[in-house]
Amino acid sequence: MLWACILLPQLALDGVLRGRDDPVAPLVLISGPTQRRVLQAVNPSAHALGLRAGQTLSTAQTLAQGFTCVEHDPAATEHLQQLLAAWAYRFSSQVSLHYPRALLLEVESSLGLFGPWPAFEARLREELTALGFRHRIVLASNPVAARMLANGHDGLAAFCPDQTRAALVRMPIERIGLAADAATAFVRMGVRTLDQVLALPRDALARRFAAPVQLHLDRLLGLRPMALACYMPADRFDARLELNFDVESHQALLFPLRRLINDLTVFLVGRDVGVQRFTLYLEHAEAEDTRVVVGLLAAEREAGMLFELARGRLEALQLVAPVRNLRLLAEDLPRFVPPLGELFEARTQQHQPWEQLRERLRARLGDEAVRTLQVQADHRPECAWRLGEGRLANISAPAAPRPGWLLATPQALLADGFQVLAGPERIESGWWDGDDIRRDYYLIETASGQRGWAYRNVGDSHSLWLQGWFA
Amino acid sequence: MSVAYAELHCLSNFSFQRGASRAQELFERARQQGYQALAITDECTLAGIVRAWQAAKDSGLPLIIGSEIRLEDGPKLVLLVEDLCGYQHLCRLITLGRRRAKKGEYCLYRADFNSPLPGLLALWVPDDERDASNGHWLREVFAERLWLAVQLHRGPDDRQRLANLQALAVETGIPAVACGDVHMHARGRRALQDCMTAVRHHTTVAEAGHRLFANGERHLRSLQQLVELYPPELLQASVQIAERCHFDLGQLRYQYPQEVVPQGHTSTSWLRQLCEHGLHWRWPMGIEDKARAMLEHELALIAELGYEGYFLTVHDIVRFAREQDILCQGRGSAANSVVCFVLGITELDPMTSHLLFERFLSRERNEPPDIDVDFEHERREEVLQYVFRRYGRHRAALTAVASTYHAAGAVRDIARVLGLPPDQVNALADCCGRWSDRVPSAEHLREAGFDPESPLLHRVLALTGTLIGFPRHLSQHPGGFVISEQPLDSLVPVENAAMEDRTVIQWDKDDLDLVGLLKVDILALGMLSALRRCFDLLERHRGRRLTIATVPPEDAATYDMIGRADTIGVFQIESRAQMAMLPRLKPKTFYDLVIEVAIVRPGPIQGDMVHPYLRRRNNEEPVAFPSPALAKVFERTLGVPLFQEQVMELAIVAADYSPGEADQLRRSMAAWKRHGGLEPHRERLTRGMLANGYTEAFAARIFEQIKGFGSYGFPESHAASFALLTYASCWLKCHEPAIYACALINSWPMGFYSPDQILQDARRHGIEIRPVDVCHSDWDCSLEPGTEGALAIRLGLRQVRGFREGDGRRIEQGRAMKAWSDVSDLSMRAGLDTRARELLADAGALQGLVGHRYQARWEVAAVQAQLPLFAGLAAPSDEGVALPAPTLGEDLFADYSSTGTTLGPHPLALLRRRLDGLGCRSSQRLVELAHADRVSVAGIVIGRQRPQTASGVTFVTLEDEFGMINVVVWRALAERQRRVLVGARLLRVVGRLECESGVRHVIARHLEDLSPLLSGLDVRSRDFH
Repeated sequence: MLWACILLPQLALDGVLRGRDDPVAPLVLISGPTQRRVLQAVNPSAHALGLRAGQTLSTAQTLAQGFTCVEHDPAATEHLQQLLAAWAYRFSSQVSLHYPRALLLEVESSLGLFGPWPAFEARLREELTALGFRHRIVLASNPVAARMLANGHDGLAAFCPDQTRAALVRMPIERIGLAADAATAFVRMGVRTLDQVLALPRDALARRFAAPVQLHLDRLLGLRPMALACYMPADRFDARLELNFDVESHQALLFPLRRLINDLTVFLVGRDVGVQRFTLYLEHAEAEDTRVVVGLLAAEREAGMLFELARGRLEALQLVAPVRNLRLLAEDLPRFVPPLGELFEARTQQHQPWEQLRERLRARLGDEAVRTLQVQADHRPECAWRLGEGRLANISAPAAPRPGWLLATPQALLADGFQVLAGPERIESGWWDGDDIRRDYYLIETASGQRGWAYRNVGDSHSLWLQGWFA
Repeated sequence: MSVAYAELHCLSNFSFQRGASRAQELFERARQQGYQALAITDECTLAGIVRAWQAAKDSGLPLIIGSEIRLEDGPKLVLLVEDLCGYQHLCRLITLGRRRAKKGEYCLYRADFNSPLPGLLALWVPDDERDASNGHWLREVFAERLWLAVQLHRGPDDRQRLANLQALAVETGIPAVACGDVHMHARGRRALQDCMTAVRHHTTVAEAGHRLFANGERHLRSLQQLVELYPPELLQASVQIAERCHFDLGQLRYQYPQEVVPQGHTSTSWLRQLCEHGLHWRWPMGIEDKARAMLEHELALIAELGYEGYFLTVHDIVRFAREQDILCQGRGSAANSVVCFVLGITELDPMTSHLLFERFLSRERNEPPDIDVDFEHERREEVLQYVFRRYGRHRAALTAVASTYHAAGAVRDIARVLGLPPDQVNALADCCGRWSDRVPSAEHLREAGFDPESPLLHRVLALTGTLIGFPRHLSQHPGGFVISEQPLDSLVPVENAAMEDRTVIQWDKDDLDLVGLLKVDILALGMLSALRRCFDLLERHRGRRLTIATVPPEDAATYDMIGRADTIGVFQIESRAQMAMLPRLKPKTFYDLVIEVAIVRPGPIQGDMVHPYLRRRNNEEPVAFPSPALAKVFERTLGVPLFQEQVMELAIVAADYSPGEADQLRRSMAAWKRHGGLEPHRERLTRGMLANGYTEAFAARIFEQIKGFGSYGFPESHAASFALLTYASCWLKCHEPAIYACALINSWPMGFYSPDQILQDARRHGIEIRPVDVCHSDWDCSLEPGTEGALAIRLGLRQVRGFREGDGRRIEQGRAMKAWSDVSDLSMRAGLDTRARELLADAGALQGLVGHRYQARWEVAAVQAQLPLFAGLAAPSDEGVALPAPTLGEDLFADYSSTGTTLGPHPLALLRRRLDGLGCRSSQRLVELAHADRVSVAGIVIGRQRPQTASGVTFVTLEDEFGMINVVVWRALAERQRRVLVGARLLRVVGRLECESGVRHVIARHLEDLSPLLSGLDVRSRDFH
């Protein structure tokens, strides 16, 4: 077998740069605790400013100015790695992400399709460059050798074990993937290259180094095989139903829809996930596909509910053209947390769980129309509540009496026609966001017995403003 | 309107992260508002009470001492001190609560109130105005000394709340009183108070929500406002309570510990006896009359002021150290007295110095004397533990330091609670500089990319400005001890320190001064460790026993060496600035050294006193005195004021200050930058000097010099004590350089220079250095006979980075029994693990057993795999495996990474040929050049300094194989070539030589980073700093 290693030395940085309109402007990736921010990677123009990976941010700031700092995001890098694996999967059925920032591809079996190797390699490079990833590519007779040779080479192609070995023996001992303590030990013995190691008697070595060292050396030389975990494409649900005729009414779509939804739920259950969002594609013969996105507030997998939701969306739709195929694509598949149900729950026929009602309302009225109400800890009445998303939070009542209905804007109160029942309660808060208030609040009662909440700005003896009504 | 009110519940900023005003502000405001009295009731602490006492005296408003306490299983209380007895109970209660909890917290229970607490009044602050149960319990504890605190802050329904509380008062039979629960002096501190709340809860103000107070009513409100809120009888009650509290901190009586005086003696007679004894010890050949007379004068003053106990206590500590062979030396002008000399507290003969004993012992001021004693830094802990043992933990404790907010810390906390992202918080803090107490300037902020005009930054800066100087927590003083006859917790609360087994009182040294408590500073000084080692080595290798006092005085060879600035590693005069001064000053006598020590300080430099002094000394300017009277004061410094004492004397002689007033001036000088308060002295000085016939211009100049002195002015007495150590260390370096270098390295870390630099210096002085070797080395560096009676230094195992002392000591012992036969013998008998063996191999310390470090590492690797079962058997030999010997460069690299120094050629010696090619001169060949010649030099960067006194100049020190080169980089060049300046490890400097009285600097014109040359030597990871 022949293995290619594609080393991506600047994976994280490239991932950030390819998303920017000015990738040549100085930019550094930083990480570490706030007390000690360290540069993870620098792009060429930042390098030209004297910035180096490993410097602390404060050192960097004394050296240069006008560079952009981006927080290093390991999750994003992981995602890139997956993306690149998927890309490489097109070239080989054996792709491994065993080593970070590197792709290993078994290429011998692909040479027929993409070969010969120089052409294959050129294509890989071309596509990687187009994607925006700097890379080094090495070909060797085993995957470990390919990976380690990439530490010191780019463009090397060793087609047979002998060539591989010849290249390896010249490698510095610190760069061939030995455990750090073993590499250090060799260096401290004055042993600098692999051929010096191989010149030492095997049993003398065995007395001095733990077994994994010899194992690694053997694998490197291809004397012992190494089992690599291979990349598998990510889980997702993508199914299409071909309708045998052009459908022109919603009603006729419901049956295939129910089937797709059922398949989806089977899939979801099998993987023990839920769906947070899925897309229906109504494929038309002549026109572009109509996309119907169904989003949920929480991951669900109950078929009836999913169907109801999709139906709601579908029925709100004006069909632009007859539908030929129906496709359902679900990629957002988070873990599913089932609701806690009571053992002997009393459930009547008419009773509809709140979640179902909520989703139904959302489907009918639109996502924006249904919101949750949340309490915000703030002394200022107008800041003490807000609209929220997601599940209904427990609302704890404020300690002091507060009106249930707050006017959108306070209204000036006429001088008479009410009496003050209590107050003043002074509220002074909010200086930090520019909306500082200083008010004395009074509980008032109108002639008709309605209780209201009114305030006077401190220092302003005249106007009284009504801000809310008590229920 | 005849209404009277006293605030009984008020927090100062010593309720950390709660109180938002200083005591001065609170008292000033309370006085303006017409309050009758003000209680300071910080939460379970009296840390701020001395400051409050001072503020009360300044404002004329009575202080009531108290504390707010929340019980773990009970209500919140405010305790107020009625009399001395109550004060002692409060101290004990706070101590109890603090000692139980970890640092910064406290923990008190109902049960702690079971025993009676006479002299303490209590205010009950109910959480729930309908719950009477706590009231009944408190009633039993405090009986008629209990009130119900009614605190109204314009909450949702104050009227109802008042009614409820009054009902509760009736129900429980506890009279009600009006209180303010004050957290700030004025409403304007609301924002800062909110910030502190957020800091306390580790959140932002925006997210702090209801943890913030709803309004700013918790300030010292006007009587008018109070009348609107409270019924008159509640206000009246506050005044009645205040009138009951008549305790004043001035009533505290501190007693010196008694056990230092033996039975049958009074402290006076015992001190005299010790001194008489000491006179004969110090002057065995006959006592000088002058010494006798001074002693009598001092003893009379000590007896008059009652300070015998203080001197006896210090003597007792020093006696212990002497018995344990711990070197020590006292400082402070009380220390430079005959009494201290004969008691052995100091080694400095007072006959040789000219010092004001009055400075620390003054008839007018009722303040205790202050002596700092330095001990060997490695053995100070023994002394501390002795003090704890001798006096017991209940009578001895460390003093506290109230750590205050500097600009960086303040801006960090404020920016964080205002929700700025961490990177910006850091950037803002970086704008402040390390110890600055000033808000960063607008330009500085703009440079860092902030917009100082933005409202957010405005808020941050304004709040930061207020927060700077606020106390943020209590920590322990490095060595200030308080010792008393009576239990300490009857004087001041004691709490736990962060270090285990340390207890700390709640007051800092200024507080102690004001209250009159004894304090002894037990400090650590590395040089004393080095000197003690020197004296031991001297005895062992030369058969001569010296002490600091018996080092041969006024030795010409020593002063010659000092004059050459050949002072790497000696005490005080080893820094670059000092070394630049030495050839100009050329000290010839001990007093010159005293001046040398004092002159290179920010004070004299900023006061512009250095150059006039040098000019006069070199006869470039006539020595003149403004008056014959002042001639006496300034004679010894050629008419230039250099010491704090001279400023005081000047005030006495020229402006008719009394010694006590002069000391006030000294204190103001030390503090004016922070607190101001020098203005009254300007008037007073000018008036006095005009009256004595001096010109106004002269008075103005003197005053400017005093200001320049600021907090940096160095007292002559300290300089004299330091100079004594300087002289001793110089004498040793001059006459026994091998002993000195060896002792210095064994005492490391201390001083300015790394062992590498000290060894390089020793080698340049022709001393042979031998490598670390398990067949010869001890744990410490040691001395071996060298050629022609000289001593050679054998590096110790302590030089091997990461090697453990226990392993080193076992090697010492094992070898003493029998020499090592091979590596397995060594490993087994010295009990070395793999790591230790590898460290030794890498250090080349197995050379004597198995050869060079590569071979050693190979051999050692085989040992580690041997099972104990086969330990007796010889390991299978790997003959035929010969590893290559390390190259020069590889050895150099390995030497530095393992032992931090190399005995092989200096890296620059290896590069010399290439540097010659670049036209670089070595430091040795620098002397061939004249002033203003163009020059190119290169060296390893061992220091970069940008002192604040030197407006933007960077001083770079380069090292090559012959010595050091001083480079001056002006600001413009530094900015142009900042990257090279900050980044280079091997630097080439092209510039101009400046040569003045033997001091050579290269003024840089161009810098070049030659660091890549080092990589060629394979020293890429050598840490050169």
